[in-house]
Amino acid sequence: MIKDLNEIKVGDLKKEIVKIEDLDELKKILLSEKKGKNRRTAIDAIDKRIGMIDGDGMVNSKGSLDPSEYDISKLGSAIREIEDVEQLESILKLEKSGGNRSNAIVLIESRIKKFSSEKDEEKIILSALSVAGVANAIRGIENADELRELLSQEGDGENRTAVKKQLQNQIESLEGEMIYEPIIQIPPEEKYPYLRHPTNDKRHVRSLNGGKYEDMWVYCETQGGELIDVSREMIGKARDLMNQYNLDYKTNEKVVVVLIGEDVSRLVDECISYGADVAIYIEDKRLKRFLHTAYTKIFCDMARSNTEWKKYDEPKYVIFPATNNGRDLSAQVLAELDSGLASDCSGLYIEDIIISNPVKTGRPGTKKKFERVLHMKRPDFSGFEYSTILCLDNPHREFHPQGASVIPGSFKIPMTDDGRNGLFISHEMKIEKSWFNVSVIGNEEVETGIDLSEYEVIVCMGRGIGKNPTAGIELGLKLVDMFENAALGITRGIVTSSYKFESRVEQYTKEERQIGETGQWIKPKLYIGAGVSGAIQHKVGMTESEIVIAINENENADIRDFADYFINGDLFEVIPKMIESLSSMNGNLEEFVKGEIK
Amino acid sequence: MTADTLVMNNSDFDLDIVVLTKGVPDFREGKVSFDEHGHLERGKTPTVMNPNDRFALKAALQTKVRNGGKITVMSMGPPGYKEVLQEAMEIYADDLYLLSDREMAAADTWATSITISTAIEKLDKKPDIVFAGFKTADGETGHTGPQTSWCLGWPIITHVIDLEMGDSRKKIIAKRLVKGDIKEVETVESKLPCFIIPDPEFEAKYPKVSDRLKLQKLTSETKERAIDYEETLTIWDHKDLNLDPDYIGLDGSPTIVGRVDPIPKAPAERDAVMIDMNYEQGEKEMIGIIGPFGRGE
Repeated sequence: MIKDLNEIKVGDLKKEIVKIEDLDELKKILLSEKKGKNRRTAIDAIDKRIGMIDGDGMVNSKGSLDPSEYDISKLGSAIREIEDVEQLESILKLEKSGGNRSNAIVLIESRIKKFSSEKDEEKIILSALSVAGVANAIRGIENADELRELLSQEGDGENRTAVKKQLQNQIESLEGEMIYEPIIQIPPEEKYPYLRHPTNDKRHVRSLNGGKYEDMWVYCETQGGELIDVSREMIGKARDLMNQYNLDYKTNEKVVVVLIGEDVSRLVDECISYGADVAIYIEDKRLKRFLHTAYTKIFCDMARSNTEWKKYDEPKYVIFPATNNGRDLSAQVLAELDSGLASDCSGLYIEDIIISNPVKTGRPGTKKKFERVLHMKRPDFSGFEYSTILCLDNPHREFHPQGASVIPGSFKIPMTDDGRNGLFISHEMKIEKSWFNVSVIGNEEVETGIDLSEYEVIVCMGRGIGKNPTAGIELGLKLVDMFENAALGITRGIVTSSYKFESRVEQYTKEERQIGETGQWIKPKLYIGAGVSGAIQHKVGMTESEIVIAINENENADIRDFADYFINGDLFEVIPKMIESLSSMNGNLEEFVKGEIK
Repeated sequence: MTADTLVMNNSDFDLDIVVLTKGVPDFREGKVSFDEHGHLERGKTPTVMNPNDRFALKAALQTKVRNGGKITVMSMGPPGYKEVLQEAMEIYADDLYLLSDREMAAADTWATSITISTAIEKLDKKPDIVFAGFKTADGETGHTGPQTSWCLGWPIITHVIDLEMGDSRKKIIAKRLVKGDIKEVETVESKLPCFIIPDPEFEAKYPKVSDRLKLQKLTSETKERAIDYEETLTIWDHKDLNLDPDYIGLDGSPTIVGRVDPIPKAPAERDAVMIDMNYEQGEKEMIGIIGPFGRGE
């Protein structure tokens, strides 16, 4: 029984009213809420409950939605109105025990996730948070009423000026945008009279004005006539992102894959089965192998085309594989389309965001909400940090599409759905001779370099070799040599460092020996990490090793948390001791061990 | 400089070569500085030449030794980047250009590419080849080369591991690495001018004795020149390049960094036994673990 509505938070109120089945009682609660705090979220919740009971006199009537009655294409709109997590969970259960369609499950789960997280947000207790904590907690709240409720909560509680200001700013940024005067662009001739005019060489400024942008485009790279794995991974990721996007923004935008090559039309079905809605392709003998200029021109022609199925100016998002060729193509396509991109991303999501950067808002000291922004998360600064890159319009220059390249292996290859239907578009255009300014006159497959997973023992060298990098690598090689079946690995830190290695060891310091998230994944019987601090990306690549020995000068190095044995010391002293012990064994291990260690 | 080298240089200035370089934080152990939240403090971390740019310089130098030419090294950044150019000159440079201006600050790859391509076009002689490093150690995007090349409207060859000029010196033949699910080496050909991005696997080759002698000579000359590098340094700002400040630097950048998070620490999984190798017991313990993998001889 609810005693005093003014005392109860909306989240708790929702829990309470679910228990109430008496229509009159609910109506009474509604009335007293309206007379009292009059919170919109609270009123909505009570209204909804009333609707549920009033509808046909049965509680949870909507809970009887049977997902098997809906096509996957219709299911989205069928559950669009359902915000009750329990109800959604029962639908999920039905789906799992029935059709068990993976895309249906994703759809329902994403909706569950959405509303369970909203529930969490409602539980914000400001007094339990620091000022900085409040800033984080309220960043995602876009409902001004919810923020007002928090404001009154703070006023009744700790009443901190900084917290109240944050909340007020957020409310203003949500509601206050319309009151500003339009931003006037001063012609460069007036603004910068010292420059020769027409001043700015705007050859490269090709952004649109009031352009229409839709869909997520995925460039599917092929090799030897087949899709490479990262192409499949990207289609899966794009499908997930656009499923969520279509739910969040109540729209129906598509995943479009782009195929360019000599014989790519046969890959169209495969792309659709992974989750694409449209496959647009072009085939030409001259396009057998990747060519920077021709591929860029073609991709951009597709992106700018205006046809029956594509009623927008340019794609909203474009994603590429972060491979040698994919990364280059992404850079040049976004240059041609005069927009921005992030490379080598390992995480992508679409969300609204409030920005105060004056270059983007156009008004210093104000905030602006940018909608449907692709958040591109990437390991940065040689793996020291994760940066989230955003590509945002300037007040007088639209930066669309928002582009990204994706590290191979970051996302899973999706299950195929052979029943999926999609649109196949053979792109017609004039291919100019001048685009073939580089010609491929030969190609051969080469060994992928050393495969570290084949060895029983891996000696991995990290930045601890810093005081004498060449000697550090040589020491590692000597230790490797003491084992029956061993190889030398290195951390990403070595690959990207500015160490000046002498040429005799340089070959051991190349990317091909890198262990970790973006390198090789190994599980040797014995892993020895010397001067390896233990960054999480490195750990990913070696954590399945059977025995892990770490040598580090820093007693609290992170690697200690995933090592079996830790030697606190300088690798330049420890490794020679290991080498000495191993050589004094003289190949007579059994006796050695028996004799010395019981 | 002796009269002899002057003669050699003058007759040798056939190809005009530009090398692009960038300063990056020195990521060597102990050099990197973090604040209390675990964020990189760029101000406190020393700046060095981007390690991958060494391959661009080496490829340029190989081209100069084999074919003759002049190497101009160009960078964009704060005045402190002058020392990065000095570092480049220690490997090789005939002259240096720094694009430096508050208006150019905080540019992303697209705004950088527009600025650099404008500067390349402003040089007295149109270059025949522009070399750039693959990926910087800080941003690691690998975009600036391809985008600068796109602004110039030039052919580009990336991931180059081997390079030679065709007989007429009007054409370039290169081997490049393609990595997808398999690794391939392509041989490609382009006319000049051309944009070249060497791969970190690029190795300069000097099979001819005469070339090795020439290399030796050029290297000692450039090291000497690097001592007074400012004599060969030209600094350009946005006015020199006639660039509208709204279209370069931060103002001209499509992308911004939305947020930066320290990489989370890996959760503890194993309970490490401490071994002290300073004592015999520790050594014995160690040999008990690694001994079984030793070479049986």
